[in-house]
Amino acid sequence: MIMPRGQPLLLPVNPVFMGASLVAALAVNMLPLGRVAWMPDLLMMLIAFWSVHQPQRVGMGLAFMFGLCMDVQHSALLGQHALVYCLLVFGAVSMRRRLLWFSLPVQALQMLPLFFMAHAVALVVRMISGGVFPGWSMVIAPLVEALLWPLISMVLLAPQRRAPDADENRPL
Amino acid sequence: MPIGTVDRRAPSLFRQGPSLLSQVAFYSALALFLMVADARFKLTEPVRQVVASVLYPVQWLVVQPVALFQQGADYMQSMEQAQAQARAADQRLVQVAQSAHLAEQLLDENLHLRALLALREHLVSPGQAAEVVHDTPDPYTRRVVIDRGQTSGIALGSPVLDANGVLGQVTRVYALRSEVTLLIDRDQAIPVFNPRTGARSVAYGDPSPGGGGNIELRFVPSNADVVEGDLLTTSGVDGVYPAGIPVARVLRVEHRADSAFSRIYCEPMARVQQARHVLVLPPVLAVDDAPTAQAPVAPAAAAKPAAPAAKAAAPAAKPAAPARAVPPKTGEKTATPAPAPAAARARQETAR
Repeated sequence: MIMPRGQPLLLPVNPVFMGASLVAALAVNMLPLGRVAWMPDLLMMLIAFWSVHQPQRVGMGLAFMFGLCMDVQHSALLGQHALVYCLLVFGAVSMRRRLLWFSLPVQALQMLPLFFMAHAVALVVRMISGGVFPGWSMVIAPLVEALLWPLISMVLLAPQRRAPDADENRPL
Repeated sequence: MPIGTVDRRAPSLFRQGPSLLSQVAFYSALALFLMVADARFKLTEPVRQVVASVLYPVQWLVVQPVALFQQGADYMQSMEQAQAQARAADQRLVQVAQSAHLAEQLLDENLHLRALLALREHLVSPGQAAEVVHDTPDPYTRRVVIDRGQTSGIALGSPVLDANGVLGQVTRVYALRSEVTLLIDRDQAIPVFNPRTGARSVAYGDPSPGGGGNIELRFVPSNADVVEGDLLTTSGVDGVYPAGIPVARVLRVEHRADSAFSRIYCEPMARVQQARHVLVLPPVLAVDDAPTAQAPVAPAAAAKPAAPAAKAAAPAAKPAAPARAVPPKTGEKTATPAPAPAAARARQETAR
């Protein structure tokens, strides 16, 4: 496998951890925090993250299912989030080979247009179906998502960065 | 290095599944199909019901900490605030008691008069109290979720009130929750009556921030008698809302040179932003006469594109209209109950 020089070889991902993180993100998205247009979509970030890092395990089908759950929970148009997440997976998987060669801040910069596009698709779909324009504050959402990209990368890759052999004198 | 630390399974060479492009095409088409089915044909309600039932436990768990926090905040309210509220409530009570006596007297009088006129008695419909759980997070619509559903006998299309007036209408019913579309939602329309002038019209939700107020009266001719501060109540011709409940107050009237209609901005009487406790009434026609009720109530309830919904309300109103107490002088005017006629009536009046 061709990798950037100096990057550590990661442990295989634990599928249970992956699933749990996605469900936790869904639960966070379900928090009743009111109608806030600029709320970043945590589930969207996690789907993008896992489809960049584990494209064999997180496919479009899973993204579609999570999207349907979001639609029902937000009482949005059924299929709106599903469409957005599928397009997001498509974008993420097609840019993953290039993306992983960069450092985390540069990765975040490259994810920014992808998140922007995802929110724009949602906006266009809803405006066509006769929704209310939620205000310009919704531009903040993709920015926050891109800013959080390095953080979730570090947190979600931490379990795979553990030492392969356990050592009781070493914390991680 | 122990075995199992590195993924040793060779990735399959031939079983790669469909290509990324075909997958995205398939799933996008599926999503588009779902959206059209949802927005236009209402075919997807069963899917929604199933997913909502599966998600309900998670949702319940997630709501708990927020509810707990709210309760804590309520508990920590200072003594002074509570006392001030009690004082205000006492004053209100005195005022209300006075009007309650009057109302009792009038009710009695009305009963006699109605009996005299051989009209059917006004039905006092039994309501159900419910609590608003949360706003729906979808920023493109204006809806709230209440904690009563099918198991409590909530019917689709039921009007929802709060202490000050009409709040909205139940537009989706789940097993334990239901969704209320607020009056300020763009897809929501409500027939209203101006008690000062006796004119009827239809108010539409308009949540865009530029308008001021959140409700708009449409198709009211420029020369119509509507002034700032007019109270609008439900008219009762729709067969959904009981008559005489406050809906909105006129905020501003703009006469426009380029159109025969004026723009009228209104403000809802109910607290649409932070309603906590609400009352759900059964739709009037469902109470009145069951056989004719079923068909018309549903389309009015869905209240989709506002104009068709209003048109649907018109036939619903017709069978009920003769039975309803219509002031005899405005009889001709009110015989054409709802909105599609409103435009026609406007034209008539301008012609006159």
